[in-house]
Amino acid sequence: MTGKGDTVRGTREMSMPLAPDWRLLPTAVRAVVIVALTVACVATPGFFSLPNILSLLTTVSFMGCVAVGMTLITISGNIMSFSLGATAGAAAMVFIVAVNIGGIGIGLIAALAVAALVSAAQGFAVGWVRANPIIVSIAAVALIYGTAEIFTRHSSIYFKPGTGIEILRGKLGGVPLEFVVLLCVTAAGQFILYLTRFGRNLYMMGSSFRAAEAAGVKTWRTVTGAYLWAGAFTGLAGVMLAIRYDGANMDYGVGYEYDAIAAVLVGGTLMKGGHGSALRTLAGAMIIAIVQAMLLLRGFRQEWQYLFTGLIVFAVILLHSSGERR
Amino acid sequence: MPEVLSVEGLGKSYTGVRALHDVSFSLGSGEIRGICGENGAGKSTFVKILMGITQPDSGSIRIAGRARDIPGPRQAQGMGLGIVAQELSLAPHLSILDNIWLGSAGVPLLHRRQALRERAQKALDALGVGDWDLNGRVGALTMGQRQIVEIARLLARDTQVLILDEPTATLSDSEIERILAVLRELKAQGRSVIYISHRLGEIFELCDTVTVFRNGECVATKPVQEVSREGLIELMLGRPFDEMYPQHHANPDARNALVIERLTVPGMVHDFSAVAPRGKILCVAGQIGSGAAMVTRAAAGLLPDAIGRLTLDGKTLRLGSVPHCVARNVFFLSEDRASEGLFPPMKVLDNLVATRLYAHAPLGVLSWRALRRIATDLAERVGVDRNRLGTAAVNLSGGNQQKLLFGRTLERTEPGVLLMNEPTRGIDVGARAEIYRLMRRLCDLGYALVMTSSDLEEVVGIADIVVTMYRGRTVARYEGERIAMSTILADITHPAEQAAR
Repeated sequence: MTGKGDTVRGTREMSMPLAPDWRLLPTAVRAVVIVALTVACVATPGFFSLPNILSLLTTVSFMGCVAVGMTLITISGNIMSFSLGATAGAAAMVFIVAVNIGGIGIGLIAALAVAALVSAAQGFAVGWVRANPIIVSIAAVALIYGTAEIFTRHSSIYFKPGTGIEILRGKLGGVPLEFVVLLCVTAAGQFILYLTRFGRNLYMMGSSFRAAEAAGVKTWRTVTGAYLWAGAFTGLAGVMLAIRYDGANMDYGVGYEYDAIAAVLVGGTLMKGGHGSALRTLAGAMIIAIVQAMLLLRGFRQEWQYLFTGLIVFAVILLHSSGERR
Repeated sequence: MPEVLSVEGLGKSYTGVRALHDVSFSLGSGEIRGICGENGAGKSTFVKILMGITQPDSGSIRIAGRARDIPGPRQAQGMGLGIVAQELSLAPHLSILDNIWLGSAGVPLLHRRQALRERAQKALDALGVGDWDLNGRVGALTMGQRQIVEIARLLARDTQVLILDEPTATLSDSEIERILAVLRELKAQGRSVIYISHRLGEIFELCDTVTVFRNGECVATKPVQEVSREGLIELMLGRPFDEMYPQHHANPDARNALVIERLTVPGMVHDFSAVAPRGKILCVAGQIGSGAAMVTRAAAGLLPDAIGRLTLDGKTLRLGSVPHCVARNVFFLSEDRASEGLFPPMKVLDNLVATRLYAHAPLGVLSWRALRRIATDLAERVGVDRNRLGTAAVNLSGGNQQKLLFGRTLERTEPGVLLMNEPTRGIDVGARAEIYRLMRRLCDLGYALVMTSSDLEEVVGIADIVVTMYRGRTVARYEGERIAMSTILADITHPAEQAAR
């Protein structure tokens, strides 16, 4: 079909309301968001100061690791897990207990193993029994909280003196260690999603469960795998929380799952599954962290941060849905 | 015959692609008009314009002699136009009565239910199904009965022109007969019908006139008596028609085959046995609900409760495990391509290599270079444009989607087994011939093909061996010259005579 033949030789023009090309919408929104954020950052006094940047990079790392894990679950078509925040809190406590007993190495292994197993068990329930992922994660929150509170009798736990944990509170080339970990986790997530068979199976399952099954994907293993990795990444977030705050209780993990869901959504990963990436989630996490840091600098209290995060998430959901309706 | 609908010079382009060009069309009252054309010929754009879903760039529409704009579906309803779409739009949990009035512009906020009930009853009476219970749930009806509820819904809204888009694609033969009878009844009442179908047999059986679309243009409108079957296909293709079904010239390897023994799926298939030799096409023929489709599903490992014994080349094939079947090169092509075959949002490339990630992932890490090379090669072999490897599968035409799914099964170390349900459903006549050629090529490569089809003409045209089924039981087996449409039709529809024989 040549370009010339396309000209409309109509007897009359139908009245067409301004018809925007909806495929350009995401690009347009991205441009607006980047410009608006840059302007707001420049206009916020103290935003580009070293202490602020460092604290921004540190705080985004906790939430970012959880969010990358959440991305795997979302892409696999299982929407989200509400239990990752509680898992992070539990991992932080396991880490401290194990470090006190056997040193940093043992602590790391124990924390990651517990977090991965707790999450993988939920994945098994979702993949094998075909339980609803949201319901399973809500039940898991209660189980994790209950178990942890029974053991700690609702108190915080701390490192023994002389564990040498202080050295992990440093920087690598001027960048907080936490942020380096986040970059590694993002790279690992991206590698899993794009370069492994498991990763491709996640996308296939997320875009059509029945087709994946008919194509011979071992669906329950794939789902369990997604939750296992999500748990491991969340465990890392918990370990970092314990190190940074020099102690842990179950309240440390509160709210991370919500921020992580927000990061996944803002990054543009679709809630229906089969589409998204770890890099997108990193971008989403950065946007949310920047907005929160800015609000803090401008003297808004915590409540306002919640409100703004909620508004952003809501706007993104509306945007995604309007894209799907066309 | 007074004119109820006429269209002059209709045109429509989508971002530079011409979907419809200078289409003129007129329909008399009491006329049944068939519309034929390959996928992408402009049929659905034409229908969308009539239903007010899209607006034309040019042209005019006259309804009952008056020039009209159709700004939206609700207005189309008000002008007496109505459609039964391919995907039925009924709510299964509501009653027939509620479904008939669902979304109707004619129901005021405060209405008398009794009046609605009477009008709905009249609509059912007009279709010869006045004995149906208006309070019955739609979910309990068969697909064919639901189709009739959709038509009743249009009658209750006093629709003068009914558009049916592939109404019989999912129906069994007896249900199709019923729908055709209903449509003839409507014609007798002076209503007009636009009947869109890929099934040429129905066009000849039902329609008064037929309009052929090709490349967005209306190329011909003729009374069906004046056009032959071959002539109609040539009009649709725009070129001479060689042969739909390729020659059978396979040299089957008798020792190697997929052997199915005493396959039973509780409640669906009873004691099914058959042999599918490599190099041949075995067709399990039966109406919807006969269990034919379950035989292929069970053999593909998709039914965990299936029992029986399957062997491939003498080695046992485990039932109930798809990964095991895929590892043995036994593949399933679903009749429901959109939800059980394709990964719609993923790229053509991803779709083509979906089942071969194992072979190209040492330690689970993929080699995209190898996969891309394979996908390019596969695309060429099944006839999908290699430049489209990057597009989302959902954007391909039905024919190309099916070729894509065939592509998944090719290029193995050894030829495999293909289990196909309705391999050409919803595929236009040109792409269909290509699919048949592809199936024959697979046979030549030593594949064993097992298919089910509710299109009898296809069964007779392509199958080497036919096994007929009725209500889960095998009726008879035919091979070669003994395959005939009349006996197959009798087998799958008249169980009593078979039992007596």
